[in-house]
Amino acid sequence: MTKELEHSFVELLEKHQNIIHKVCRLYTNNYDAHNDLFQEITIQLWKAYPKFRGDAKFSTWMYRVGLNTAITLYRKSKRTIKTQDFEGVAFKMKAEDYDDTEEQQLKILYKAVHQLNDIEKALVFLYLEDKDYREISETLGISEVNARVKMNRIKTKLRTILNP
Amino acid sequence: MDELDLLKKDWNKGGDNFPKLTYNDIYKMILKRSSSIVKWIFIISLLEFAFWALISFFLKDSESMKRFNQYDADTIFIPLMVIGYVILAYFFYLFFKNYKTISTTDNAKILMENILKTRRIVKQYVAFNLIYLVVSTIVVLWLEFDRDQLIINQVQEATANGEAFKFYATIIAATILLLILAIGVLLLFYWLIYGLLLKRLNRNYKELKKLEV
Repeated sequence: MTKELEHSFVELLEKHQNIIHKVCRLYTNNYDAHNDLFQEITIQLWKAYPKFRGDAKFSTWMYRVGLNTAITLYRKSKRTIKTQDFEGVAFKMKAEDYDDTEEQQLKILYKAVHQLNDIEKALVFLYLEDKDYREISETLGISEVNARVKMNRIKTKLRTILNP
Repeated sequence: MDELDLLKKDWNKGGDNFPKLTYNDIYKMILKRSSSIVKWIFIISLLEFAFWALISFFLKDSESMKRFNQYDADTIFIPLMVIGYVILAYFFYLFFKNYKTISTTDNAKILMENILKTRRIVKQYVAFNLIYLVVSTIVVLWLEFDRDQLIINQVQEATANGEAFKFYATIIAATILLLILAIGVLLLFYWLIYGLLLKRLNRNYKELKKLEV
């Protein structure tokens, strides 16, 4: 039974691993920390998996556990950070896809998003993942109106950073 | 175009940059141990329960306790001891009940509240122990002055020399100083351990609460 459970879990996670990578991308800024958080989220998902009911979508369930781990349970990795910063690696744009201004803007935007606090990052994450305000409010435990208000403030904040 | 829409356009293309973990990579991860704060809170809380239980256990067998047995003060010691154990059991039950409610599948706010509530129970238990420590010290001090022949003799001697006040003042001041020292060390320990452990949680919980205003 445990073997079956393990197998189905690992298979599902392998398929949906990008969700965890994306959470890690927002909450960490180097390779080691990314791996560390990825591992902790995986462990938390595995621990919660026996209670996972098929009526919820696996990906939706992952958003919740992933964000909860990032903003509540995770203790920062103690490892000394020597690896190259992500900014230059993971978020590198392909020059032919973007014009200079857009590429530049994106670089500044990612940098700006990294400066937001943990809760703001969670809102941005869910927004970027195309979640509606109802789901955002349910994931974070705030009202839909407050989620909307906060999101508008974040947008203004980002706009100010981009166009000082 | 909205700044975030520009980001959104790029967001989903990012997948190619991520390392692709294989089935085996993920399988290895689920066998590893968690280092989450919930796990640490659980371990530290159990240690705290053990610490206070052991203290009362060792005190019971100590030399000075044997001396107190001669005071014929069972009517005071036994209720004090029973209260101590009943309250330990009560807090232990509450702690486990709350610990069980911590679930990563709850929404962020409820999860944080449940963790903080579980913490608060252990905190209350420690506060109870500190009060218990102060009350027991007062009771023991009173019993010593009242029933310990050695101390009674010393008091009489001091009174004869006109130094009764000095004698009482020295003992009471020394006791208060020791209590303050013990409580101070414990509070420092708390501030360090939980300050570090719950820093992120407290900060994010405050941020979520702020959104409600």
